[in-house]
Amino acid sequence: MIVAISGVNDTDNPGPGIGVARSLKEADSSIKTVGLSYDVQDPGNFMDFVIDKSYVLTYPSQGWEPIFNRLLYIKESYGLDAVIPTLDAELPSYIKYQDDLKEAGIKTFLPNLEQFELRSKENLGDISEVLEISYPKTKKVFNIDQLKKAVNEIGFPCVVKGNYYKAYKAKSLPEAVYYFTEISNEWGFPILVQEIVKGDELNVIGAGDGKGNSLGLVAIKKMTTTHLGKIWNGVTIKHEKLLKVAEDFVGKYKWKGPFELECIVDEDNIILIEINPRFPAWVYFATGVGVNLPKRVLDVMFDKNSDMSGDYESGKMMVRYTYELITDIDKLSELATKGESNGYKNL
Amino acid sequence: MAIKTYEKPTIIKVESSHSKAGVPMPKQKIRKKIGGVAIDEMVERFGSPLFIFDEKAIREKYRSAYEAFSSRYPNVQFGWSYKTNYLKAVCAVFHQEGAIAEVVSEFEYEKARELGIEGKDIIYNGPYKPYDSLVTAAKEGAKIHIDTFDEINDLEKVADELGSEIPVAIRLNMDTGIYPQWSRFGFNIESGQAMDAVKRIKAGGKLRLTGLHAHIGTFMLDANAYKVETTKMVRLMNEVEEKVGFTIEYIDVGGGFASKNHLRGIYQPPEVVVPTIDDYAEAITSALYENIRGNSYPKLYLETGRHLIDEAGYLVTSVVASKTLPDSRRSYIVDAGVNLLYTYFWYKFNIELTREISGISEPAMINGPLCMNIDVIDESILLPRLRRGDKLVISPVGAYNITQWMQFIRYRPRVLMVTEDGNVELIREREELSDIENREILPEKLKLK
Amino acid sequence: MRIENLAVNKNGFAFDPTSGETFTLNETAKEIIEDLARGVEEKEIAKKLSEEYDVTQEEALNDVLDFKEKLKLYGLLP
Repeated sequence: MIVAISGVNDTDNPGPGIGVARSLKEADSSIKTVGLSYDVQDPGNFMDFVIDKSYVLTYPSQGWEPIFNRLLYIKESYGLDAVIPTLDAELPSYIKYQDDLKEAGIKTFLPNLEQFELRSKENLGDISEVLEISYPKTKKVFNIDQLKKAVNEIGFPCVVKGNYYKAYKAKSLPEAVYYFTEISNEWGFPILVQEIVKGDELNVIGAGDGKGNSLGLVAIKKMTTTHLGKIWNGVTIKHEKLLKVAEDFVGKYKWKGPFELECIVDEDNIILIEINPRFPAWVYFATGVGVNLPKRVLDVMFDKNSDMSGDYESGKMMVRYTYELITDIDKLSELATKGESNGYKNL
Repeated sequence: MAIKTYEKPTIIKVESSHSKAGVPMPKQKIRKKIGGVAIDEMVERFGSPLFIFDEKAIREKYRSAYEAFSSRYPNVQFGWSYKTNYLKAVCAVFHQEGAIAEVVSEFEYEKARELGIEGKDIIYNGPYKPYDSLVTAAKEGAKIHIDTFDEINDLEKVADELGSEIPVAIRLNMDTGIYPQWSRFGFNIESGQAMDAVKRIKAGGKLRLTGLHAHIGTFMLDANAYKVETTKMVRLMNEVEEKVGFTIEYIDVGGGFASKNHLRGIYQPPEVVVPTIDDYAEAITSALYENIRGNSYPKLYLETGRHLIDEAGYLVTSVVASKTLPDSRRSYIVDAGVNLLYTYFWYKFNIELTREISGISEPAMINGPLCMNIDVIDESILLPRLRRGDKLVISPVGAYNITQWMQFIRYRPRVLMVTEDGNVELIREREELSDIENREILPEKLKLK
Repeated sequence: MRIENLAVNKNGFAFDPTSGETFTLNETAKEIIEDLARGVEEKEIAKKLSEEYDVTQEEALNDVLDFKEKLKLYGLLP
């Protein structure tokens, strides 16, 4: 079994790839992992104890064809049974062209386009209603006049956010205008103005089988984060209502594939602020407490029976740390001149 | 000793800003032919640069768009948007396929008439229609789409002059959830202005409202906006028929469908973000069926331009020089610039080579021949080392460039059409000095000896 | 001049042990670097290239000069 995984940029702003690869290897050491990398210097390209072979890819913005051809080349030259994309920028292509991959004999396990659109912030209000949770007062704005009206109504501080990416806390009108311009320049419209809600940010990782069944859920609280807001230390929790919301989400939308829900929780009041239609970078945390979602997703992909129990203990901690790997520059040479690393031996 | 194939010397620093320079991918994009004819041969015969249109591609695109609509809503008519590309040969292909003409100025109106299109087969749009042109259009039975109250006055005067009632349509604007809202054209629906215009026309008694028109924006990536547009238009139609008593014969939903071009500022590639023609057709026709009352189904007009022609047009340009810039990037100077590629300002084009070139790729910039710093066709592209005379094929460039290009310091180049049967036709000759000088008058006293 | 120190491997990957910088380069570039390191004149290099490859001496000379420019920008030549 050979599985390609993207997001092997295991840096201070890590992609989920290494967590996914590590989860697969620990469950079944016979699985070969292929790293799909967008930069020759990605740490994953050098971590031969998790990634068996790496290939450099063109950016998704360059179109689907070069990526598809690269995957076909990998299949032909090394072998490839399944691919697990983990980065936001590449998901639209993979989701749109999942049938092409299937025809080429490369399996995926992804939501359909309709499900994928649920992540749009515009849709979170409706989803919250379906899941019977509250949703903060939110206004959709397209120009400065509408922005002014919206912030007057909502008051400061408020959150100014893009439909898919970026969110900033604005404390004044000039700040709100600044963020409005910054986000719309990069990501377009609409821009959303949202009231700030009280509570703790809690996250749930999960996966759905596409038929309404959950493949497992783990809820956590981030204890410390980097300046980019990425988890550094975290702890597992058991918030029954939150887990129920995640289960309802899988059931009601027949979600297919991995996901992460980001919520603000104030006792029993749950507010959904983001749906990420992929594994989060902390995916290995769930694996470490007994819910190996990458392996379960892979099992479902190949119609295998798998352990689908939701059991894990609360109060388990994840502690991220840094570690240095010393290697020879020959590996960089291979990647920089051939676009792929030598196949490493699986140690 | 056998002579080896020369590869120009290339060295690239491995750094994260160009993490893939030097890596033997992306695979070079190669296009050797257009419409089955070798590009190199066309350049050899007709020179460089060259715009080349592929007739077969135009017809196939038109037919698939027509099929997408007519299979859902049979009473449909396309109007070729002249402003998108008014080369005679291009317009003629669309007219042969069954499209009528959609014009936005007296110049375009005259162009359509000159090509042999009858007045009744011309849709006359635009915010300014000179009085004389309104007289001509009314006489010849064109579909006149009114943009302002002033134009209602003008047309009533024309009706008096001609001594007959003139059938007209009005241009509408509305909120379809799209920003910017094109509110400066026509009459607003939500504010009641549109209904006021209808009543004003009725009260005048000299014009007869037969159609409703709108155009909600350009390069629309959200097909659903058309559903909102069509719904609002049909509801207005229902109201007009019921309350004012005009019979609406047609609804013109305009154009704005995107082509497979890569908008600057949008990360995802066009094949991911651009809706298919079926998405657009489904949005529009489903709104028609959901909102039309009774049994009369108005004719649906479409004015899509870019979607039909953009991908059938290519610009072939040749490398004339290359140099290393102080930031270590390479600059290629080519013989076509942004004066020919107006759409450069919002697209990152697809750029292909006409031959495989061995060697590693390096970051490069493609500059046109103008003496202007803005003459940049691509500011960051990975290319193997090109030699003088190597050709770049730039696409899609079929929409708007031929109509918005500028005669700035250079002559505009030849335009070719590769026909369906594989012949190469010259459809616009290269400009020469007399084309430009003919319009100039040098006063006697300024004549130099 | 650091080009003498460049360690170029068979894949066309070069490492400058004095600065820590890494490069990729093609065969022609490798040949020119070797010649420059041995003190061969630009014109002489161009002549050699034109004898070995399908390139005129004029084009080759331009390429050598342009290449030297690039090496200077990378700090590999003074």
